[in-house]
Amino acid sequence: MGMASMSSSSSSNGESLKLCVFDLRRGQNEGQELDKILFFFPPDLTFSSQLSVIGLSEGLITFTRLFSPEAACEVIEAERHSHVFYESEPDIWIVMVIEKNKEIEAIWRVDALQKVLKEVHSLFVMFHGSIRSLLDKEPSGGLIRSHLYPFITDYLNDLSVGKKLQLPSFRETLKERCTVQMLTLARDAALEVQSLVGVLDSCAGTLRCHSLILFHDLLVSTTLSPDDTVDLFTYYVMRLTSNALSSGTSSWSYLRKGTSLSQTSSRSTTSPQLLVSTDSLPSGNGNGAAGRVIRPLQHNKWSKGKDGFLVTDIWGKDATPTIWLQKTEERVHLLAYQHKCLTLVLLVPTMAIVNGELDISFVKHQVTENASAKILKVEEKLSKGWGGENAYHVSGYRYLLVDNDTEVSRASPSGKVATLAKETLLAVNKLRETVDTEKSRTKEEKDMEICIRAKNNAWAIARLTRGKELYMALEKASDTLLDATDSVQSFSNRYCNGTFSMD
Amino acid sequence: MPSSSQSSVGSGALSHAYIQHPSLRCNVPDSRGLFYDDANRLLICVTSDQVFSWETAPPFNPDVSPSVDSISDGPILSVRFSLDKKVIAVQRSDCEIQFFHRETKKTLTHKCRPGSESILGFFWSDSPLCDLAVVKTSGMDLFACDSAMNLRLVETKKVNVNWYIYTHESRLVLLASGLQCKTIAGFQLSTAGVVRLPKFEMTLATTESNSKPIISPGDVHLVTVYGRIYCLQVDREAMLLNTYRFYRDAVVQQGSLPIYSSKLSVSVVDNLLLVHQIDAKVVIIYDLFVDSRAPVSAPLPLLWRGYQGSDSSSQAANMENESAESSTSNENIVMYEDAWTFLVPDLILDQTNKVLWRVHLDLEAISASSSDRTSLLEFLQRRKLDANKAKQLCLGIARALILERRPATQVTQAIDVLVTAYSYSVKAGIYKELKNEKTTPTDGASSPGNERGRASGSSIDEEEEVEINVPSGPADEQQESQLSSPAISPDELYKFVFASVEETMVEESDYLVAIITEFLRSISAEKLKVDLNIYVMTIRLLAHSKRFAELSLFITNKIIEPSKEVALQLLESGRQNLRVSKLGLDMLRQLSLHHEYISSLVQDGYYLEALRYAQKRKVTSVRSSLFLEAAFASNDMQHLAAILRVLSELIPGFKETSEYYTFHGLLNETSSSVAV
Repeated sequence: MGMASMSSSSSSNGESLKLCVFDLRRGQNEGQELDKILFFFPPDLTFSSQLSVIGLSEGLITFTRLFSPEAACEVIEAERHSHVFYESEPDIWIVMVIEKNKEIEAIWRVDALQKVLKEVHSLFVMFHGSIRSLLDKEPSGGLIRSHLYPFITDYLNDLSVGKKLQLPSFRETLKERCTVQMLTLARDAALEVQSLVGVLDSCAGTLRCHSLILFHDLLVSTTLSPDDTVDLFTYYVMRLTSNALSSGTSSWSYLRKGTSLSQTSSRSTTSPQLLVSTDSLPSGNGNGAAGRVIRPLQHNKWSKGKDGFLVTDIWGKDATPTIWLQKTEERVHLLAYQHKCLTLVLLVPTMAIVNGELDISFVKHQVTENASAKILKVEEKLSKGWGGENAYHVSGYRYLLVDNDTEVSRASPSGKVATLAKETLLAVNKLRETVDTEKSRTKEEKDMEICIRAKNNAWAIARLTRGKELYMALEKASDTLLDATDSVQSFSNRYCNGTFSMD
Repeated sequence: MPSSSQSSVGSGALSHAYIQHPSLRCNVPDSRGLFYDDANRLLICVTSDQVFSWETAPPFNPDVSPSVDSISDGPILSVRFSLDKKVIAVQRSDCEIQFFHRETKKTLTHKCRPGSESILGFFWSDSPLCDLAVVKTSGMDLFACDSAMNLRLVETKKVNVNWYIYTHESRLVLLASGLQCKTIAGFQLSTAGVVRLPKFEMTLATTESNSKPIISPGDVHLVTVYGRIYCLQVDREAMLLNTYRFYRDAVVQQGSLPIYSSKLSVSVVDNLLLVHQIDAKVVIIYDLFVDSRAPVSAPLPLLWRGYQGSDSSSQAANMENESAESSTSNENIVMYEDAWTFLVPDLILDQTNKVLWRVHLDLEAISASSSDRTSLLEFLQRRKLDANKAKQLCLGIARALILERRPATQVTQAIDVLVTAYSYSVKAGIYKELKNEKTTPTDGASSPGNERGRASGSSIDEEEEVEINVPSGPADEQQESQLSSPAISPDELYKFVFASVEETMVEESDYLVAIITEFLRSISAEKLKVDLNIYVMTIRLLAHSKRFAELSLFITNKIIEPSKEVALQLLESGRQNLRVSKLGLDMLRQLSLHHEYISSLVQDGYYLEALRYAQKRKVTSVRSSLFLEAAFASNDMQHLAAILRVLSELIPGFKETSEYYTFHGLLNETSSSVAV
């Protein structure tokens, strides 16, 4: 089991996980406190209990803001609970309260938990727009609540196994959420890909289309900003890979691979989905004005059409999905085309679509007309160079590489990471925590090197240089610090263009 | 588009082919006739006892005086110089050929058996077997001829012959027999030996009025294009020009061209077939390279142009035009008059005016009238004669395609054509920057072989195994004062197409980047290299449209190959975007450009990292004041002190410099607590 699991059943002894979204600008008058609450999990908790969680959080935020107006608290460690804070939009906070557990598996890193909150919010914004914009649209809050509730619930569903919710634990310490994993391309393949991008660019006439090209669960190319790329990539890995389509579950990936087996077992049956069953969701609430609430995170809603385009009825029958781009605040239609393990995600500006589905089918036609030869060629090239699941394994090393500028990460395959001793993983987790603290202390990019010797004599090493991070576990007990540094050095020279070399 | 073609359109004298001043003129009094020796490319004029000969290699020089040889008096049916030009052979009658040695003045008379056979003609050969071939009604005699001019019969090919045709260019002789003269026996007398071609029958349609049409020698033409040998045969009843292609072991009919005139002749200019429809006074151009038998352009008249100095065709005038008469020429040229003889491959002999013209092509006019630019580019890339012009036209077309914002697929096709043509010509060794020497005979020899590679997929693959090659030899030599190939190198494409449109297209950089990507893909597929300035330009364009995500993919995937120039451009464009400038810094480091790397780090304020790097790499070329000023500006005296210490160790004698004193003094003033 790769994640810290906790029972979230309300019937058990207290809720082990609470998650809430609230708006500090609302409900400031006495008696209106409930207005603040935009989302609360578990939903069946009494309002007074909900308010006490939110009240405490709000108090802590207000208090810490006295000292640090720009960045209020990130985490509060109480005796039995941890409170993890994330300010998703100005004054809109997502707070996760988790029970501290005696179980060893329940050791996590705050930053990793924050990334979960960040991920769910980013995905929400991509599909629905910002929380604030929905609040502005309907100040009563009914609209936002009706959107947040199914969305976050569906998201949490992905984290649940059986009756338990799994949060990223120390076992996932060599993974980085909210980043994309990229396929390394040879130059000739890259040129073919870029040539395909050029064709996709102009599929909707003069207005330029953005596009992502993906292969298996790796990103091949993007024309979007890093943030938007991460959101779409995350959704792609969750729901759109050829694997996800065929099995109805998330495909394997660096982030989710570890649990895919247990997930499959829990989903393939219609066994008790503790969080929600589809029908139990309130569907009428606040829907009057906005029409039906779309639930893009529902399972088994995408399939591959005859023409190679992926179809779904999430946005309504025969309706083309639309999403928001963060960077440009532009609304775009999402078209996904799949050929074997190659997926193209084409984002057509809604401005370019005047005649609805007629124009959409024209764009689709343009894609099949102009790009199909190139798609075949790219697929062939990529398949030829495809190194499989363990392509980026470097023997002797367990590593995580993060580029914060491009929001790209690469890590040892999780199967290989799983071979590390628990002590090693805990040491790396500790190391990452140290780095996180150091990073949050100084906002500017720093060069840094930290080496930790674990109880089992393994080395955990972190190197940071100008926005790039390398974490590494070396489990050769006989290695001296010098040996370990040499190993890092040669890894850096061979696989990172010498970025982390410190000679 | 080039202005001259416009003006030629404007004058109403549209034309794709023309003859041009100066012509070669034979002002020989008492001339008894004009002959053309195609093996030696000599124009020959005979009087009763003299032979005048002019070299016809281009360009014509009207002032050159002919060489003169004396021969004995008598009738002259034809004249040919031996291939070493030492012997002049004159056919006196249908049973006698006389030989005159130009140096020894020795003469020899060769006669056939009168009555039983008669001589149809003769030609010199460079095959190892024989030096002279005499075609008679009973067959062909092959003779060896030594330096003393002794003829020795080496072989006789027995065939009934009604008439024959031969071109030295193809080394091919076709002997016609049969009642309708449509049974053809062929021999190639090449340097490889004498090859007998399979006999074949020409196609002739019959009508009620003419059930047994007869082919005359004027109806059959041997043409050589792209190193392939074709035979063209006029079928007047069907109004078709039948084409046959020769292979070593087969003769294959390859379709027919329609004709619009009962009188017809052909020229070959720059591997293009010009069919002169003499009655209609127009010429139709065909490119036999492509499978399609559609003409390259619409039928248009042949044009006469003034002196070469006035190159522009605005000076050109149709001969039927009055302006022609008023020109400086005193020739009274009538286009396609009866006295015109068409000589192989591209000459026209005007027997009335005793002048020789060369047929030229107007590539500008042809490209102006063509709408399919991809095939036009392919067409132009196949041109060799005026390679310079073809190249300029290609560049112009490529520029126009981009400036007109044609669909990317269309531009891609055009780029692919140019890049593959270049790659091909480099591999074939044809492409050279500039060359002034004569083309070597190997050019001629290599082309058929290459041809085969390029023509694969054409309609004649089945018989392709062994192809009759155009023999190499002096006949292939051509004086070339300029480019030998219109191929355009990637660097030139960058310089004359991409760089030249950048300024106008900067607002449409998305489009231009897409085109450049295709260009890079194309040259990468052909494994060629390109001027790295195109990378610098690509970075500029991507940064201009703020496509930073793609820019970093271009860099990490090495679509843009690393170089110092690229790195510096990244730093420059990186002023708008930190990510981009980091890419530039990384590249400097990876390229071990220590000096630039350190200077950029300092500029970005990372002076400590820079100094550490300098210390480790022992780089002393960066001005020490850079570090010191940076540290002083940041007001960190501890750093300043540390830097002073490191620099003292790094640079010998640093402590004696004025800089050291200045900053050491500053340090002591500001904070006496920090020890150095």
